[in-house]
Amino acid sequence: MVLIQINGKMVKAHEGEMVLSVLRREGIEVPALCDHQALEPGGSCRLCMVEITKADWDGWTKNVTSCLYPVEEGLIVSTHSEGVLEIRRNILDMLLARCPNSDVIQKLAEEHGVMKTSFDTLPDSDNCIMCYACTRVCEVLGKSAISAVMRGHKKVIASPFGDAPPDCIGCLSCAHICPTNVILWKDENGKRTIWNKSFDLITCKKCGKETISREFADYLLEQRDIPADYFETCDDCKRMELAFKMGGLVDGAEEVAI
Amino acid sequence: MKFRYKVIPSLCIGCRTCELACAFTHAKDKKPGRSRIYPIAYKKDKYVPVVCLQCDDAACVKSCLFDALKRNEETGAIELNIDRCVKCEACVAACPFGCALVDDVHDEVIKCDICEGTPACVQFCPTKALVYEKI
Amino acid sequence: MRIDSIPKLEKWRKKCQREYNSRKRKIFVCLGEACLANGSAEVYDEFKKELKKRKLSDVQVESAIKTGCHGFCALGPLVIIEPEGTFYTKVKVKNVAEIVEKTIKNHEVIDRLLYKDKKTKERIAEYGKIPFYEKQQRISLRNVGTIDPYKISDYIAVGGYTALSKALTDMSPKQVIDEVSKSKLRGRGGGGFSTGRKWATCAKVDDEPRYVICNGDEGDPGAFMDRTTMGSDPHSVLEGMILCAFGIGSTQGYIYVREEYPLAVVTLQNAIDEARDSGILGDNILGTDFCFDIKINRGGGAFVCGESSALMKSIAGEVGEPRAKYVRSVVKGLNDKPTVLNNVETFATIPVIIDKGAKWFAKIGTKTSTGTKVFSLAGKINNTGLVEVPMGISLREIVYDIGGGIPKGRKFKAVQTGGPSGGCLPAEKLDLKVDFDSLTEAGSMMGSGGMIIMDDRTCMVEIARYFLSFLVQESCGKCVPCREGLYQLHKICAKICEGQGTMEDIELMEKMSLTIQKASLCGLGQSGPNPLLSTLMYFKDEFITHVKDKKCPAGVCRDLIKFVITDDCTGCMACIKVCPVDAITGEKKKIHILDQELCTQCGSCFDICKFDSIEIK
Repeated sequence: MVLIQINGKMVKAHEGEMVLSVLRREGIEVPALCDHQALEPGGSCRLCMVEITKADWDGWTKNVTSCLYPVEEGLIVSTHSEGVLEIRRNILDMLLARCPNSDVIQKLAEEHGVMKTSFDTLPDSDNCIMCYACTRVCEVLGKSAISAVMRGHKKVIASPFGDAPPDCIGCLSCAHICPTNVILWKDENGKRTIWNKSFDLITCKKCGKETISREFADYLLEQRDIPADYFETCDDCKRMELAFKMGGLVDGAEEVAI
Repeated sequence: MKFRYKVIPSLCIGCRTCELACAFTHAKDKKPGRSRIYPIAYKKDKYVPVVCLQCDDAACVKSCLFDALKRNEETGAIELNIDRCVKCEACVAACPFGCALVDDVHDEVIKCDICEGTPACVQFCPTKALVYEKI
Repeated sequence: MRIDSIPKLEKWRKKCQREYNSRKRKIFVCLGEACLANGSAEVYDEFKKELKKRKLSDVQVESAIKTGCHGFCALGPLVIIEPEGTFYTKVKVKNVAEIVEKTIKNHEVIDRLLYKDKKTKERIAEYGKIPFYEKQQRISLRNVGTIDPYKISDYIAVGGYTALSKALTDMSPKQVIDEVSKSKLRGRGGGGFSTGRKWATCAKVDDEPRYVICNGDEGDPGAFMDRTTMGSDPHSVLEGMILCAFGIGSTQGYIYVREEYPLAVVTLQNAIDEARDSGILGDNILGTDFCFDIKINRGGGAFVCGESSALMKSIAGEVGEPRAKYVRSVVKGLNDKPTVLNNVETFATIPVIIDKGAKWFAKIGTKTSTGTKVFSLAGKINNTGLVEVPMGISLREIVYDIGGGIPKGRKFKAVQTGGPSGGCLPAEKLDLKVDFDSLTEAGSMMGSGGMIIMDDRTCMVEIARYFLSFLVQESCGKCVPCREGLYQLHKICAKICEGQGTMEDIELMEKMSLTIQKASLCGLGQSGPNPLLSTLMYFKDEFITHVKDKKCPAGVCRDLIKFVITDDCTGCMACIKVCPVDAITGEKKKIHILDQELCTQCGSCFDICKFDSIEIK
C-alpha cells in the first residue's frame, strides 16, 4: 500500500498500480480514449495527462499520462489544474480537426469547452484517432491480424498489404473496442464481413440463429479445453435445453441444487 | 463462509417476478436491462427458473481470452468485469446452458453475478422457489 | 593472430609502431563520403597506378593509405603528404602525376593546389597551420584521417587499446565508472545526460544480462560526425564500448547504424572481425575472464529510431516506435534488461578519458560541459566540414575563425543548432559560449552537433516550415500531439509562407507548440516545436511581415516576391536563356523585359545574372 494525494485528498493505492486506475476507483473523471482494462496501457491519446509533483520537488511539476505512471509514495496528483485542462483542450482541438464527424470526439470536446476546432479539418476523415486499441486487442488475442502501417500523419490501421488479413478470425473484438466506432462489419445471410474478409457464421442447429464466426470458435477450441458441441447451439436454445433437462430431473426429485 | 444459490422448480409458478427484479436491479442510465434469469415452461404449467449455474469448471471462464470472468470467492458467483470485456461473445457461445447473454439495451455481455451476495430474484420470488443459503 | 595476454599486446604494439613509422612517406587520400562523391576513389587508384608505374614502392613511398575523413569536406578530394604535412585540396586525377613527380620525388610543393586563406589570400602548405584546424582540439576525432580504418595494427600503433589494457590490469569495473563520472562527460547524442551516472545506475541494477548499445543512427539533417568516426576510426568506438561493458558487467553489445551509412557498416564489421581475431573482442578478452561481443544492427532509416526506446525496439525486431512507459532504459531497456545506450562520439571519447585520466579531460571545456564537441558545419559557410572544439568556444569563433565566414561576403543571419529538434540562434547570440546549458537557455540545444549556418537570403518562416515538414514526415504517429499537432503547425506555417496567414495563426502556433512540448510521448515530439518557437522568439518580425505586409524580406517565399529587371541590365541575354517559362524577352545590349504574368518566381534569372540587375521586391 502506498499513500498518494489526489486533488488535495489522501488516497490509498496498490503498489505498482497506475495512477489512472486509482483515479477510476476514486470516481475521478479523466478522459482516456485509448485506455481499456483488457489491454496494456498505450499512452497514445494523451488525454489522461495529469500534473504530478512531490513535496521535495521544490514546486517543480511534471505532466505525465496517468495511464502509464505508476504510483509512488508521496506522489501529489492534480487532475484538473489549469495547465492540464489546457493540454486536454488543445489535444481535443487537434482530434476534432482530425475527426470532425465523430460524435464521441465532438461530445468530449464540448464537455471540455472546445466547440469548434481551431484548425482546418481533415477532408473525408474516417474518424480513426489512432489509439491502437484494435491492434492491441488483436495482439492480446494472440492474432495480430491488423497493425498500424506508414508513419506520422499518414499512419493508418490496416491489414497486411490491404488484403483480407490471413490471421483474422472475425471475432469483432477490434470493432467493439474502438472508442470512435470506426471499424465496420456486416452480418448477412450467415456470413460476416470485416476487414474485407468473409467468415461463415455458426448457425444454431435448432433455431438457426447466427452466433459467432466458425473461425473464432475453432480458435477458441484450439486455445481452450471446451467441448466442441457447446458452440453449435445458440444461447436461447441452450437455456431451453437446460429447462427440459432439469424438468425431467424435477419430476423425480423435489429440489435441484446448483 | 460459503453460499449456494438453489432453485426449486416444483415451487416455481412462472410468474416472472424474478425477471423483473433482475432487469431493474441491473438497470443502467435509468433503463432496465435484460434479465439474467428466465422461468421456462418444460411442460404445461411446469416451470424451471433457468439461471447461471456458476459451474466449477466453467466454460465461460475458459473461453474468455481477456480474463474478464473471475469467480468471487465470497459469493460464489462468476463475475464479469465489464471493463475488461471486449464483447467478443466467446462466453455467450461457449456457455452450454445459455446463461451468458447479450443485453441489447445496454449493448453489453451479461451474466448472473448473484447481485454481489444479495440476489434480488431471491428476495422477490413469491413462492420461495429461489433460495440463496449458507452451506 | 590471437593475443592472449596483456604483455603480448604491448609486444605486438611495438611491432605495429615499427611498421607504422617505417612508412616514411605517406600519401593520405581522403576516402570519406564527401571526398568520394568528388572523385577521390579515382584519385586514390591513380596514385597507386602512378607509384607502381614509377616503381616507387621500393624507394621511399609505401603507398597511398586509405584514410578516413579529415573533416574539411568543402575542399575535397583532400590529399595529405606525410611527414611534411603538405595539404592539397581539390585534387583531380590529372594532378596525380604532377604530385608524384614534384612533391614525392623532388620534395617540391605545388602552390596552386594548396589551401588559400580567404582573409589573407595566402597559400598555406601545412595541414596544422590552416585556421580550420588550428583552433580545433581533436579528442573524439583524434585518429580520424591519420590511420587506416581497415587495419587494427594502425590503431594499436597510435596507442589504441592502451586504455583497455590499463583497465584490465590496474582498474576494477567500479574504478572505470568512477573515472568516467569524474571526467563529467555528458552524452554527446543530444540529451547531455551524465555518462558516468548512466553507467553507475545500470551497474547497480540487479538483473542480467546487461547490454551496451552504441547509437549510430545519426538522422539529423546536416550532421555527419558519427558517420566519420565509425567510418574512419571504428576501433575507438569499439574500445569505448568494451570499456563500458567492463564497467557495467555486460557481455553483449550492439551498434545500431543507419542503413544509409554503408561505408560505416563495412569498416565497423571489418574492425569487429579484426578485433575478434586478435582476442580483443569475444570470449576471454586479452586472456582475462572478461567476455564481450558486439553485433551490428542496421536501421531502416527512420529518424525516430535514433530515440533510445524506439532504437531498442528496432533492435529487438519490433516496429521502431518509442516506448510510452516511464521506466528508464538503464533499468529496463533492450528486452526489458538493463541497458546503457550512448552515442558514437561518447564512446569514441571514453578510451582517451581512461588513458589520460578524468582530471586531464575535465580541464578542457567549461565547468558543467567538459571536453570537446564535434560540430558539423553546413549551409552558408565557407568551410563546410567537421570540427572538434573545446566546449565553451563562442559561436563567432566557430562561424568566422574556423568556418571562414559566410560565402560571397553576405551577412550572417542565424545558425541552426541541434538538428530538427534544435533552434535557430540570431546574430545577437554569436558570442554565446557553446555548451549544453547555454544553448538550451537560448532556446536551442546541443543535439548531436549539427550547425547549419544561414545568411540574409534565408527566410526564417520558410526554415521553420522546412524543419516542421521534416518532423511531420519523421513523426512515428503514435501519439496525438506529435502526429496531429506538428501536422497542423506545418500547415499553418505553409499558409504563412503563401501569404495566407493571419495574426491569430501565429498565436495559435505558439499555444499549440507549448502543448506539443508538454504532452508528446517521446523526445521527438517534445522538442518538435523548437525550430518554430526559437524562430518565433528571435524572428517574430519576419512572421508578422509575411502576415501583415504579405512580403518575404529575404526574398524566398515565392508567393510573396516579384523579380524585377533594373536599369542596370546590360542586355547579356543570360537570363533569357535560363528562364524555364520564357517570361523574359529582349534583345542583345538592350534592357530585357520580364512578364510578371508568366513568371513563376523560380529565381533562375536572379542566380545567373552577373550584374545584379535583377532585384527581388
